[in-house]
Amino acid sequence: MSGRLGPQPGEEIDRQAPLAFTWNGDEHRGFAGDTIASALTAAGVSVFSRSFKYHRPRGLLAATFHDPGCTVQVGDEPNVRGAHRQLAEGMVVQPQNAWPSLHRDVKAANQLAGRFLGAGFYYKTFIKPQRLWPAYQRVLSRFAAGGRVTDQPAEDRFDQRYAHVDVCVAGGGPAGMAAAIAAAGAGARVLLVEEEYRLGGHLRFGSETELSTLADLHRAVAGLENLEVVTNGVVAGRYDDNWLSVVERQRGPVFERLVKVRARTVVVAPGLIERPYVFDGNDEPGVLLSTAVRRLVKLWAVRPGERAVVLTANDEGDAAVDDLRRAGVDVVRVVDARSGGDVVQAEGGGRGEHRRVRRVTLGSGERIECDLFVTAVGWTAPTTLLNLAGDRPAFSAVANRFLPGGLAHPSVLATGGLAGDGSLDALIEHGQASGREAARRAGSGAATAIPALPVVAHPPLFRSRTHGMVDFSEDVSSKDIVAAAAEGYDSIELVKRFTTATMGPAQGKLETVNLVAVLAEANGKTIEETGTTVWRPPYAPITLGALAGRGFEPVRYSPMQPWHEAHGASPLVAGDWIRPDHYGDPDAEVRNVRSNVGIIDVTPLGKLDLRGPDVAQLLNLLYVNLWSKLAIGGVRYGVMCAEDGVVLDDGVTGRLGPEHYVMTTTSSGAGTVWEWILNWLQTEHPEWRVHVTPVTTAFASMNLAGPASRELLARLVADVDLAPESFKYMQVRQGTVAGVAGCFMWRIGFTGELSYELHVPAAYGLHVWEACLEAGANLGIRAFGVEAQRIMRLEKGHFIVGQDTDGLTQAFAVGLGSLVKLEKQDFAGRPELVWQQERGDYQRLVGLQPVDPRCVPAEGCQIIERVDGYTQIVGRITSSRMSPTLDRSICLGFVAPHLSHPDAVVRVRLPDGTDVSARVMEQHAHFDPDGARLRG
Amino acid sequence: MLVRHGLRNRPWPRAWRAPDLRAAYDVVIVGAGVHGLATAYYLARNFGVTNVAVIDKGYIGGGGSGRNTAIVRSNYLTPEGVAFYDRSVKLYEQLAAELNFNVMFSQRGHLTLAHNDSSLRTMRWRAEVNKLQGVDSEVIGPDEIARLVPFMDVSEHTRYPILGALYHPPGGTIRHDAVNWGYARAADAMGVEIHQQTELLGIDVVDDEVVGVTTSRGHISTPVVVNCTAGWSSLISAMAGITLPISTHPLEAAVTEPVKPFLHTVVVSGTLHVYVSQTDRGELVFGASTDSVASYSMRGSLAFCEELAGHVLELMPSLSKLRVLRQWAGLCDMTPDFSPVMGVTPVQGFLVDVGWGTYGFKAGPVSGEAMAELIATGKTPEMIAPFDLARFPEGRLVGEKGAAAVGH
Amino acid sequence: MLLVPCPWCGPRGSAEFRFVGDASSRPDASAPKPDEWRAYLYAQANEADWTTETWYHRAGCRRYFKVERHRVSNEVRSAP
Repeated sequence: MSGRLGPQPGEEIDRQAPLAFTWNGDEHRGFAGDTIASALTAAGVSVFSRSFKYHRPRGLLAATFHDPGCTVQVGDEPNVRGAHRQLAEGMVVQPQNAWPSLHRDVKAANQLAGRFLGAGFYYKTFIKPQRLWPAYQRVLSRFAAGGRVTDQPAEDRFDQRYAHVDVCVAGGGPAGMAAAIAAAGAGARVLLVEEEYRLGGHLRFGSETELSTLADLHRAVAGLENLEVVTNGVVAGRYDDNWLSVVERQRGPVFERLVKVRARTVVVAPGLIERPYVFDGNDEPGVLLSTAVRRLVKLWAVRPGERAVVLTANDEGDAAVDDLRRAGVDVVRVVDARSGGDVVQAEGGGRGEHRRVRRVTLGSGERIECDLFVTAVGWTAPTTLLNLAGDRPAFSAVANRFLPGGLAHPSVLATGGLAGDGSLDALIEHGQASGREAARRAGSGAATAIPALPVVAHPPLFRSRTHGMVDFSEDVSSKDIVAAAAEGYDSIELVKRFTTATMGPAQGKLETVNLVAVLAEANGKTIEETGTTVWRPPYAPITLGALAGRGFEPVRYSPMQPWHEAHGASPLVAGDWIRPDHYGDPDAEVRNVRSNVGIIDVTPLGKLDLRGPDVAQLLNLLYVNLWSKLAIGGVRYGVMCAEDGVVLDDGVTGRLGPEHYVMTTTSSGAGTVWEWILNWLQTEHPEWRVHVTPVTTAFASMNLAGPASRELLARLVADVDLAPESFKYMQVRQGTVAGVAGCFMWRIGFTGELSYELHVPAAYGLHVWEACLEAGANLGIRAFGVEAQRIMRLEKGHFIVGQDTDGLTQAFAVGLGSLVKLEKQDFAGRPELVWQQERGDYQRLVGLQPVDPRCVPAEGCQIIERVDGYTQIVGRITSSRMSPTLDRSICLGFVAPHLSHPDAVVRVRLPDGTDVSARVMEQHAHFDPDGARLRG
Repeated sequence: MLVRHGLRNRPWPRAWRAPDLRAAYDVVIVGAGVHGLATAYYLARNFGVTNVAVIDKGYIGGGGSGRNTAIVRSNYLTPEGVAFYDRSVKLYEQLAAELNFNVMFSQRGHLTLAHNDSSLRTMRWRAEVNKLQGVDSEVIGPDEIARLVPFMDVSEHTRYPILGALYHPPGGTIRHDAVNWGYARAADAMGVEIHQQTELLGIDVVDDEVVGVTTSRGHISTPVVVNCTAGWSSLISAMAGITLPISTHPLEAAVTEPVKPFLHTVVVSGTLHVYVSQTDRGELVFGASTDSVASYSMRGSLAFCEELAGHVLELMPSLSKLRVLRQWAGLCDMTPDFSPVMGVTPVQGFLVDVGWGTYGFKAGPVSGEAMAELIATGKTPEMIAPFDLARFPEGRLVGEKGAAAVGH
Repeated sequence: MLLVPCPWCGPRGSAEFRFVGDASSRPDASAPKPDEWRAYLYAQANEADWTTETWYHRAGCRRYFKVERHRVSNEVRSAP
């Protein structure tokens, strides 16, 4: 039936390079340069798949990337476009949509049920009983077309790169090549992208003259250094300001690459896509488009059949007849649509993988036997990139296809078959003019008009007298469309969604115009009146791998990380940072801090260096409390609110000099607070003289906490007087620690113990850390992590912004009453805090202790109250731990005002559905509420 | 039903009429999406109010109702939110039978992953509030997650290790177009008129009362206009002199080629800003958070696809060869507290059902039911009282920040 | 990807910036009326038209600046 032809001029197979592969378990051979489909066709295979809904056997139709019948599984890769993908040695190719096999497909029973299973059938059935829908759904989903994904990550490489060019040309046919050559010749940096493996478009399977012209164009391309060519790639999307996505496939060791292009101008030259004819049997194996047949013969030297009938309405169809005859195919009839000829049916014979067309019926009623039926009924303009640039394509009733509407952004031009018709020379000339103009506009030259290409008349041939497939991948026939319109789904968008036509893997390229034409006919309207669907990116499918690229996900570590790793730290993901959560026993770490001394890495703490005469004014604006009288060397705790009064961040700020302060923030708030400050300084108070420098990562920070911390520090610091009366609680000093100058020492106390927080120039962080551990060895020093710190801060009742506060917690709710200085004229959020205080009806943050000291309610548990037989939520637990210091459970939580007084007993609902009681404490701190241990 | 039509080769009856626009209606609903159509449906069904016109400048379900990723759930954070969305879930469960149209509600289960302890804490909060309202949600660990989603990487060595998830069995997916069409058919059958390709051009307000509207197909006298739009709600409300606390942002989505079924649960990650489910046709549907830049563009961006792909592969690394086929965007009206704006406005007769952000489709039925009650009785139902427009000048925001799927 | 015209750095891809919002002016915070303050916090013009808005050049010069952008076409121009 099929087979290999003798050498063809311009053929792209290498007969010296045979390749072995398997298809559906059987061994086959092809040549380098074959596609999977061309090699199989040469081997006599006609059926490659079963259609989605009706499981009809399908063969080649277009022999290009968007051929709907030839989607196959190759190894672990699903949905490979077999009519485009080049063969490789050892490929394992499988059909996708057949069960149990391509031959005996049980699901083909759907075909008989076809009249019941029109488009949208599932809306009208499986309604009752509702509870069976999941079962129906499992069965239906097994019918889903598509290949298989495995649960093993692929070993292939995916990548990304950028290209910044003057001109990007989308499409490497003659007009596109000419445009690229002309633009590069004018000095522009050009990127030319072509979907097929070689440049040339239809010239590749053209006449001797066309092949010769192609050779000239190739030579010109090769001679230009500023012209980069990407083949087997597609411009998949055009976004704002000519930001383009280009998919580069199977290039070298990279499976797929996303090229992100910023182009000053774009030339769109994708050519035209041949449109299938709609008639009964148009999806039978052996019914092909004229371009498919010419490609098979000329590019891959494959005989597409023995006995052919051709329906032609244009020159390309006529050329296909010549090519077939020269290939030794018996063209028994040429039906000329230009003089009224038509075909109304193709009948197939044979079952399963042997299915093939065996005769066609003409419009006259005559039947002709054949094993190959070729149509050449017209073209579809792939206008996607123009649409994405703002164009609305206009339908030409002369050419019977859509043409650019002229509304695209001036930086996007169209050339080639997309823009009009003409001889090869005319198309090339138009391409050159477009390329030159694109280069000019890229250089900010004024836009000049290019003489338009003429538009040649083409007979309107969309649907024959019978009904046939419109969307091959979705199994939507013209009958379905007519029925949908009759039901009221009569606008293009509704009919598309109801029938799913154009929503399949071919992305509308072969089916959109036929859909519009059939709908127009059903509604008694013109194609212009009907319009088209909106074209959406990507124009060609892109793998998740290429879109993700190498997957860079930076993390931040402190300089002490090597020590943490070497000492068994359990990592905690805290935003961008990885921090030590604990080193094996957080409770022991707590006890050690409270008895001896502990050391914790707090480098992620936000740190902002503030300098200038107006810093105090800034602090007064940002914080709820007062800052004008902070002495040099003094430290104060502050809380910041947003303009809606919601707590934004907290931390201590210290004054290091007359005009020098350092602000600390929470680690997750570091970036936000910095931007917040810049916003105030730049937009509201540009007259304030303040310099802000983020120094979070300029300093490694560590906290020495515990009764022995002063003794330890004294062993490492000589130039600062550490005596308690000299260096008091809430003060800051600058000095040398372990020989490192320029360190800051803060006497603050998140843990509630005597403690010193050291900020060390980051490069010396590990050195100072290790020096502390060495110097403190006989003092019982031990590292402690975030978990131990969390336990201790909870013992002291310190709230954590974002855990004990949420997106609606305004300052008074967290018990900051005395801190909020409403007497200040202005600070961020002040008005809302005034009103909050007046209302008084907000939940309060309180300390809680479960009555059962061993019960540790999960954070997030709700506090409930039964009122009139209903269970109301009146609060929740925000922080909860077992305290090693007190040997009992301790919590912070929100409760309604009427339950917020000390000794109130509240009810906590545990996750298992039982309730426990908890007592409201007098203050937030469960341990050492007066802070005696801190101030020593 | 299917069999009867198929055997006799009879065409199906028209789903809805295309009537001429009359000069007056009792109620004009702007927006033929799920909210507008559900409101019309419940007005007719529950209160016998049928002299209603639903107008839309495009086709039925062409806005957010046709662009969303069709996830239905009720696992919200606040008690009022949970009660509200749970009512919607219950209505969805009955909807196919009631409308005689298969809306394909698949309650396949919904997972919200937690990648850090702050997130896990929020999941526990949501689970507890849900359970107290009688809604099935619970916090589960990595092992159970792996059983539900075998392709998920639950190992400890990923960049964002999965610590647990909020598992919500009644959540799932639905065929959004089917809901829109089902409500449209049923409302039309009861006498409601749906006017597609009919654009609202102006609202006539006299002495702070609505008296009529001007459309591209003519003028209508009416005492009640209900704004059930998304993306256009500020522009339409401005026609009545009302300013809303809304900023409109694109929300993008994408779909892959079909593959054989392998994902049987809806998976959401707040930290990674991504959600994914697999349709009956085998395609993966993805969504993420709204674009940070406010705009009315529905064009979609490359950055969305890139970030999405990165995060999906974080969760399920074996999907790298799966291809994205199509991306699109819809418009989301974002409010300061991630909750809608529903009910009366200072203009008598001008009602709003707007501000639906990224959570509007799942609320279609309950919103329609409640708005219908408000329109018919003049009294605001308890269920939607917390969502009033007045809460903004009065400083009574709703606390849903932690739960609106992604991005917040 | 939108090109944003930073007054100091020239046109740069929008990924380098953070979109802040409509350019608004802060009312006098010493004793505002609740309506006024909350309009500042929450009300949005949200027009499908040219809007003056603030952007922050996060990955560049770290300046807050204003531009005009058309919210439908995404055309951007420098604010006067």
